[in-house]
Amino acid sequence: MSKSLMEWVDERIPVSDLIKSQATEYPTPKNLNYWWNFGSLALTVLIIMILTGLFLAMHYKPDAALAFDSVEHIMRDVNYGWLLRYLHANGATFFFIVIYIHILRGMYYGSYRAPREILWWLGIVIFFLMMGTAFMGYVLPWGQMSYWGAAVITNLMSAIPLVGPDLVTWIWGGFAVGDPTLNRFFVLHFLLPFVLFGAVFVHLWALHAVHSNNPVGIDVPHKDTIPFHPYYTIKDVYGVGVLLIVYLSFVFYAPNFFLEPDNYIPANPMQTPAHIVPEWYFLPFYAILRSIDFLGSFSKLAGVLAMGGSIAIWFLLPFLDRSPVRSFRYRPLSRRLFWIFFIDTLILGWVGYNPADATVLDGALPMITIGRTATFIYFGYFVLLWAITAFGIEKPNEVPKSI
Amino acid sequence: MDFRKIATIAAMLLLLAPQVGMASSGGAPLPKADWTFKGVFGRFDPAALKRGAQVANEVCLGCHAIKYIKYDHLRSIGLTEAEVKAFAEAQGKNKKDRMLSAMSDADAKESFGVVPPDLSLMTKARKGYENYTYGILTGYLTEAETEMIDNATSDDALSDEEIKQIAAKLHLDAHNPDYVREVVRRIGAGDNFNRYFPGNFFAMPQPLTADAVEYADGTKTTLEQHSNDVVTFLAWAAEPSLEARKSLGIKVILYLILLTVMLFAVKRRVWAKLH
Repeated sequence: MSKSLMEWVDERIPVSDLIKSQATEYPTPKNLNYWWNFGSLALTVLIIMILTGLFLAMHYKPDAALAFDSVEHIMRDVNYGWLLRYLHANGATFFFIVIYIHILRGMYYGSYRAPREILWWLGIVIFFLMMGTAFMGYVLPWGQMSYWGAAVITNLMSAIPLVGPDLVTWIWGGFAVGDPTLNRFFVLHFLLPFVLFGAVFVHLWALHAVHSNNPVGIDVPHKDTIPFHPYYTIKDVYGVGVLLIVYLSFVFYAPNFFLEPDNYIPANPMQTPAHIVPEWYFLPFYAILRSIDFLGSFSKLAGVLAMGGSIAIWFLLPFLDRSPVRSFRYRPLSRRLFWIFFIDTLILGWVGYNPADATVLDGALPMITIGRTATFIYFGYFVLLWAITAFGIEKPNEVPKSI
Repeated sequence: MDFRKIATIAAMLLLLAPQVGMASSGGAPLPKADWTFKGVFGRFDPAALKRGAQVANEVCLGCHAIKYIKYDHLRSIGLTEAEVKAFAEAQGKNKKDRMLSAMSDADAKESFGVVPPDLSLMTKARKGYENYTYGILTGYLTEAETEMIDNATSDDALSDEEIKQIAAKLHLDAHNPDYVREVVRRIGAGDNFNRYFPGNFFAMPQPLTADAVEYADGTKTTLEQHSNDVVTFLAWAAEPSLEARKSLGIKVILYLILLTVMLFAVKRRVWAKLH
């Protein structure tokens, strides 16, 4: 009965063929390491975010007078509301952790190289959508950090020549961050994840057209591939188990670890917090923004451009990297540059966390100097990667002929 | 470079972090109390919760509100129906009412210049969490310290020795004598000094002293005991689901560990066919 039913469906829409060719028998390189788990982990977190978000939205009120109270209502009165909210708030953190590893994996193994450029660009588009969604989501609890973070970040738009100030007023829906801002941010925060989900679908479509890269970075003949199921289904599900252990440990035992205490104070437009910090996942880019302060009246615009450019420059990676070899495993110079770049972004994050006027080494070294240097190194990575590969400075090691 | 080297460098960088110097005066390092509700198996001490509810009701509510808690909620920390009724009636309320302040916002503004913050989320809303609230309650001048400052200022100028002594007692920066002098001047002028408050002065006069409340269970009524009890109560008020969260968490995490170990075994077995 069920067999004939499936046949009936397949004659009308070939579901079984699609599942076979794109999932169960989808050919995958046999040598993928655990860094390749992070794509499926990202999808897992996205689904958790959409589901918890959906149920939170049923109890949340996007009204400046009610928002803060409605979050506390969720925490106290809604059945397992505290679990939904902590899953969602910490889910954002783990979404970024997973995505950052996913991006760095792509950078290290040259997954952005031909023929995967469009796959890579779609990934960057997804990342931009994710940052926008996360930013607006953080505004919704309407605490002090929500309010002032929103004020600081939206204010950056005013640096845009000619239209900047009008644009900011338009975004706010008034002359300050207020009720209209909160209301529209809620609408967009609800909408964007579905746009993001669509982008993920196209990302997967592009992936299945060009297939996965692998740690060796060479094209894999069919004989060196294995069917996705059961090999990668079980490996991915195992990865999900590990992720959930770490993620839920925070949810149950340190749910406020990544949150700022100030956000448990209701938004107060009359009182600026002593130290406004964005969420940790924005800190490196925030540090780049603040590091451009030496251009007088152009500093603000230049800072905004540098911040946007620090991510937009990823779009150019397929053109900047001219090496005949994809994987950094066989590229000693690129590998060193990569790790310097990685540590540099950690430093940028730390700079972004500290007040702009802080110092280290008993005042001998101002934070701003560290920030500028780290910003310079950040962009230097892309220039040097181009230089050492375009001029043949890097001599790659021998790459295996097969995996 | 291998991963271990990277991890070492990253760890060293993290160790650098605490040495950051800040321009503003941050207040003394907070006292680190042993809260029973911390840790994986942490639970609220029921007796402390009950005593703390009494301190909150009789002292804190004089100026502050705890608006997310209704008197009726107190039954969930072990108060009887009659006790809840008595608590509410003492404040001229009934059990369905929220724990609001007896003082109107307008009166508070007139007395203190600001409306005292709601305490429902206080232990989650400040850096240092419970230790912050405990620090504020216990961080005012003791009688001995007030006397010491009185003695020091009786003969006009403060000597270097006196400045050092005061700085040490009040956790101030001894290398900044001007600040110590300013603190002493403001204390003399009647401002509210607190060693743990960032900036040291704020609108709240000392709210809690020893023997502020008489405990039915005979527990000693020192300032530390009162503070410990009321902070425990406020931690519950900030997160009434804490115990439910922790007990559910153990089951979830243990289940996940078991599941993941089994998934790993299956993964090994499936992949063994390949090699």
